[in-house]
Amino acid sequence: MKKLLFGLYAAIVLVLMVWGFYMAIYVAPEDAMQGEIFRIIFYHVPSASVAFVFFAISLAGSIGYLACRRNSPNGAQVADAWALAGAEVGVVFCTVVLVTGPIWGRRAWGIWWTWDARLTTTLVLWLIYVSYLLLRRFAAGPQVQTLAAVLGIFGALDVPIVYMSNRWWRTQHPAPVFGGSEGSGMDPSMLPAFFWNMGAWFAWGILILALRYRVERQQQKFAAEEAQAALNENG
Amino acid sequence: MDEKAILDHQFVVAAYIATWVIQLSYVAWLAFKWRAQKRAAGRTGRNPQ
Repeated sequence: MKKLLFGLYAAIVLVLMVWGFYMAIYVAPEDAMQGEIFRIIFYHVPSASVAFVFFAISLAGSIGYLACRRNSPNGAQVADAWALAGAEVGVVFCTVVLVTGPIWGRRAWGIWWTWDARLTTTLVLWLIYVSYLLLRRFAAGPQVQTLAAVLGIFGALDVPIVYMSNRWWRTQHPAPVFGGSEGSGMDPSMLPAFFWNMGAWFAWGILILALRYRVERQQQKFAAEEAQAALNENG
Repeated sequence: MDEKAILDHQFVVAAYIATWVIQLSYVAWLAFKWRAQKRAAGRTGRNPQ
């Protein structure tokens, strides 16, 4: 039954992705100022949104781990698996943002990169979470999960700074399209393509987040069994 | 199509391809990890669910 539901969800995600692509390329009109290059927004902005939400999941998992690690070891492991899955999939989406952004910037601004507040804070966010993943991959010992949780919490503090950066400071990066100053917003003819792609990328993100969580839980179970077996051998 | 439009199109294609290369590479790595887990579970007689 679980496999059937998973397959059904994966099929829905596939249809959403194809539909989103069709809307982005064939239905949405060209931007009056930027022309066709504007179509990168349909992958760039949803990827940033998914990354932010998944870093928030990682934050919740990290807090959950720190809160539960003494009283509820199993709950702490569940929270830790969500923290890791959120951080890792968030890094994947943040990488997409950091790759598609410069491609867009090269055509729109004539440069691949500039050290403005939005770009720099996004790069710092990516570096923090990459260091989180490196810590989890290469460090050993009983304190790794605790240290990772603390790093995960500090990393998440950068998310609101990234989000607000082009409101707080003058940046090369455009002002917010949604929720910005008066006159901001997107032409109504582009909105369906934008929201379909937003939905499709969130659906895709949830799919791989669930897979990553499942793999991590399995890994935890194996590790616990191995530790128990080692104890039995020594005892 | 003028030269600007052609270049714009090529940059959009590059961005979309880069996105899918990143996403599918990650999914492939995840699938590889999952299979390795299943194999390890099979060797030690554990239930990989």
